[in-house]
Amino acid sequence: MIIQVLNGLVYGGMLYILSVGLVLLFGLRRVVNFAHGGLFMLGAYAGYAASMQFGFWGGVVFSVVALAVLGALLDRLVFRPLQNVDHMITVLVTYGLLLVFEDFVHTVWGADLISVRVPALLAGTIGIGDTQFPVYRLVVIAVAIAVALGLSAWLHFSRAGLYVRASSVDSLTTAMQGVDTERLSIGVVALGTALAGLSGVVAAPLIALSPSMGSSILIESFIVVVTGGLGSFVGAFIAAIVIGQVHNFGVVYLPNVSSMLPLLLMVGVLIWRPTGLARTQS
Amino acid sequence: MSTPAAMAISAPTQKKTAAPLIVAAVVAAIGFALPSLGVPMTTLSLLAQASIVGVLATAVGFLVRQSGFVSFGHAAFYGGSAYLIALLAAHSKLSAEIILIAAPIIVLVAGFALAFIMLRTSGVAYSMLSLAAAQACFELMMKWRSIANGEDGLAIKLPREVFGLPLSIFQRPDSMFMVSWAVLVVIVVCLWFLSRSHFGTLTLAIKNNEERVRFLGYETLLPRAIIIALSAFIAAIGGVLFALYNGFVTPMALHWSLSGEALVIAIIGGTRAAWGPALGAFIFIFLRDIAGNNTTHWQGIVGITLIVVTVLLPNGISGALVTLWNRARGVSNV
Repeated sequence: MIIQVLNGLVYGGMLYILSVGLVLLFGLRRVVNFAHGGLFMLGAYAGYAASMQFGFWGGVVFSVVALAVLGALLDRLVFRPLQNVDHMITVLVTYGLLLVFEDFVHTVWGADLISVRVPALLAGTIGIGDTQFPVYRLVVIAVAIAVALGLSAWLHFSRAGLYVRASSVDSLTTAMQGVDTERLSIGVVALGTALAGLSGVVAAPLIALSPSMGSSILIESFIVVVTGGLGSFVGAFIAAIVIGQVHNFGVVYLPNVSSMLPLLLMVGVLIWRPTGLARTQS
Repeated sequence: MSTPAAMAISAPTQKKTAAPLIVAAVVAAIGFALPSLGVPMTTLSLLAQASIVGVLATAVGFLVRQSGFVSFGHAAFYGGSAYLIALLAAHSKLSAEIILIAAPIIVLVAGFALAFIMLRTSGVAYSMLSLAAAQACFELMMKWRSIANGEDGLAIKLPREVFGLPLSIFQRPDSMFMVSWAVLVVIVVCLWFLSRSHFGTLTLAIKNNEERVRFLGYETLLPRAIIIALSAFIAAIGGVLFALYNGFVTPMALHWSLSGEALVIAIIGGTRAAWGPALGAFIFIFLRDIAGNNTTHWQGIVGITLIVVTVLLPNGISGALVTLWNRARGVSNV
């Protein structure tokens, strides 16, 4: 039982790191980034490629840095020029980017599944109760907790964090108060995409790499973001943990309908609170 | 035509002439004439495919035009209707005609019920929700092997005669192109009339500013739900054509890549005109055929085209054609 809960936490933690990046982008740019799953995938592949040269940890660093740079470019080349048009246009453009990213990965690494090995240092298992549990999975949980703590400390105790929170509540008023949201956004978008890269590279040893890995996790992270309340950091955290558990419970006990469970949870939450778990006003 | 907000977006300023109607009638007639003009079978097969996908894209485009909702999940209605046909044909004693009519009606009712949940969200969240819901249907059919046979899909058992016509009519490219072309033309014409009706204007006004329309005393939830349900119904009709033509359905008919494709087609074709997505479908299917023979980068090409069209031609190809047409006739653009 405790193993199931832990496995749910692993998946939930992965979802959280990915989804909170979406929340950051949405908060500042009011845009849902359909390319986010593509960034997750690019992060995983970039980490895989770099790990060939520099080992697993080199791969992690490379992937996070590369994705942060890509995010800064995205902000300057896509989100900023499109900020005054209908948000749906930006959504469609990011969807186009997702297709391009998938084609890119497909071209460079092919369509075959690639499995990434857990680094030797973390390859062992650890006894929990009377079963063995892989250490690497515990590390994934730890990374997710570290991201959550680091992010909330940043959001609550730094000036930039204050601006980000203010901007995700009301970006116009925040700008009127003299906050340069333009300067802020390049860093925040880079942070969001770096987190997508981090989740991809951390998840890589647990799931096989394929050009379609991005779109399937994108859907789950959308469920997390909508359930938590668009633009809410706390909501995304709670929703990711709950959906991680629901997902894992479904896979183990109700395999036929497992994919429906997160969706049903989201529908239930939307009926109960149309703006999601954490959002109080629309 | 009583809401000022709606007048602002849809007021037809072109001179009322019969010219567009004549063009439309000629295009429709050319379509019907194609099979007897000695067009090769491979081309006809592409045409049949394009008309069927065109029905799906028309459904997506109609939703964008009348409600502003961008659906990433319309394959659920399309593939859902095909699966309903397959499952009902296998497990019920109903006649094929009843099943073929019942499937889209069930989807219509389901779409109407679903609309009330979808409408609790707005804008971007609608897109995310439609994607998640549709993909859940895909996974359901994929994993529930005992009823849907998973990835391998289901053969659709149909009798030799449907609606008094031999089944082969629906499975040969030349005759099926005629059938699906006729369906597509009827749907586009109906939607064109609908967009000109009071209901069409009302939903456009709601799309523009829901709050103001409510202030004018209109109920705004129901019209939007009806639009979503109608759009689901049209997609389901596409699913019926697909089921008849292929005689087979796999979870790929529910997959989000198909939903995305339909959306891309609708956007490239342009959603402001009822016929835009249908035009997009013919362009898309033929380009894909050409590209498929020469490159493996079709997906990347689609992505780049989507980006370029959304940024440079927000009204799509049909929008550009309408602008050219108006300019040629010396009428100012709307």
